[in-house]
Amino acid sequence: MANAELVAGVQVTRRGAILRQRLSFGYSLLAPAVIFMAVLVGAPFFFSLYLSLSDASVGSPVARYVGLQNFQAVFQDSVFRLALRNSVVFTVIAGIFKALLGTLMAFLLVQEFRGKKLVRSLVVLPWTLPITITVLAWRWMLDSQFSAVNWVGTHLHLIHGWPNWLGEPGLAVASVIAVNVWRGFPFAAIVLVAGMSAVPLEILDSAKVDGANFFLRFHHIIVPIIAPILFVGLLFDTVFTLSDLSIVYLLTSGGPEGFTEILPTRALEVGIQAGALGRGAAISLVLFPILLPVVYLLLRMLRRREAL
Amino acid sequence: MTGVEVLHGQASGAAATTRRLQTRDRRRRFLVYAGLAPFILIAVFPVYWMAITAFKTDSDLVNPAVFPFWFHQSPTVQHFTYLFQHTYYGNWLYNTMVIAVWVSVVTLAAAVPAGYALARLGLPGAENMGIGIFLGYLIPPILLFIPLSRVVSLSHLIETKWALVLVYPTFTIPYCTWLLSGFFKTVPAEIEEAAQVDGCGRLSALIRVVLPVSLAGILTAVIFAFTLSMQDFLYSLVYVAVSDQKPVPLGVATDLIRGDVYFWGSLMAGALLAGVPVAILYSFFLDQFISGITGAAIK
Repeated sequence: MANAELVAGVQVTRRGAILRQRLSFGYSLLAPAVIFMAVLVGAPFFFSLYLSLSDASVGSPVARYVGLQNFQAVFQDSVFRLALRNSVVFTVIAGIFKALLGTLMAFLLVQEFRGKKLVRSLVVLPWTLPITITVLAWRWMLDSQFSAVNWVGTHLHLIHGWPNWLGEPGLAVASVIAVNVWRGFPFAAIVLVAGMSAVPLEILDSAKVDGANFFLRFHHIIVPIIAPILFVGLLFDTVFTLSDLSIVYLLTSGGPEGFTEILPTRALEVGIQAGALGRGAAISLVLFPILLPVVYLLLRMLRRREAL
Repeated sequence: MTGVEVLHGQASGAAATTRRLQTRDRRRRFLVYAGLAPFILIAVFPVYWMAITAFKTDSDLVNPAVFPFWFHQSPTVQHFTYLFQHTYYGNWLYNTMVIAVWVSVVTLAAAVPAGYALARLGLPGAENMGIGIFLGYLIPPILLFIPLSRVVSLSHLIETKWALVLVYPTFTIPYCTWLLSGFFKTVPAEIEEAAQVDGCGRLSALIRVVLPVSLAGILTAVIFAFTLSMQDFLYSLVYVAVSDQKPVPLGVATDLIRGDVYFWGSLMAGALLAGVPVAILYSFFLDQFISGITGAAIK
């Protein structure tokens, strides 16, 4: 009996040792990634909080604590206020169009037809090409003199005259939104297709055969199946869109007269080009409370995945 | 009605049904193609316009009198030769490759062990740590580029391509860790246990048994380290201003414009040459990308 206890005790300690060994092995495997992320994402994030409360600039290495002065100054700047409004408005309008076009294209792409693979790789080109490169192509297509869009438009009698897309405030805003939609809708569509392929095509089609009218289908298919998938796609897209600099920077540089300015371009102008690091950090941090609920929702969805 | 007639009637009825189904199917397919046509057009047209521009002579390019979407003088490769002879395009290609290789190395060195640990070792708090690492992917560069500019200048890498090798893993590591952890979950635990029974330690079981069967996942991670790096504009714009250190997207966007003059021919040539291979590569791996970021959240 004493012997048996002894053996059991040995087993317990051995199991404990194996567990400890496995844990230390696991944590040491995690360490490089965690340390890298802590040093180059975590620390800079908090450093940016500090910068936003200081008068740090590119020229002077010594920064003074100035409290909320940067934020006050930033909110008094009319260009910033326009940039903030544009950031939100562009994201919302573009999001609506991406959802509509993406859903429409997804319903077409889930069908069975010949050449599906080729068609798919063509329609996702706007998303798969590097963003810088496609924005340059659009800049050329919307050129004030040689615009290909104008050439087609005037010859099809869709547009009158020769609009200067990137030179007039209203048109420039429309162009920036259109390029964002063009780039983003294939992403929405592909996310939807991925999600819908988990749902048998018959279910999507059966409702039609059963003579379910639009509202019934909307109630039983669109809302429970399509909407959550689209929601995840749009949340990701919102993060990408809110934080993207390249479309506005390369198309209009925020012009004409600041009409297409968004938070990222303003942060770059003030923080780097004008060298006011503190104020620039304050501007980009204004994005944080806007991004926070989006990121929170995304992480909640991802956590659900982990639980599976 | 005789039995034969009934049979006959059934057969013709069935044939009619088949025909009706066929017609309906053909109509459905026609509608799908017709519906997709405008999408294909708007997706492909800018790329077509880039290609036409890249191969047109300058005088053909700016001739307002002719139909712009075809050649009126014979196609030329002068814009491509100009890129390699009079700009740093060769250097940009080289820089892009060097950045891609080193970003992949750094990313794999961190993401492979982390993804494995999260997927397989049942660490307490693994779920939260995984989400914490993925959070890095959701903190966009626009929130980090100003504080990181201090880090980059402190590290004396500023103005070189190595600055980008340092910062790109901030978005490739979280993404690839997430992707690889999903991948490692699908590797059967038995083969690993068998290796351990055979006397392999945990680490050597990982290296000798798990990694070889995970090559597909690792390759996918490398592809994304590359394509995600190619999508960056902000970091390279802010940290690399020296012409011969730029990656292709930045070089094309900033160096091929003199004052207000855009050299559209060579701009489009340079854009096309770098963009098309990336697009092709990316479209092969698009499904993995989507399931990587959305995962079972949508299933």
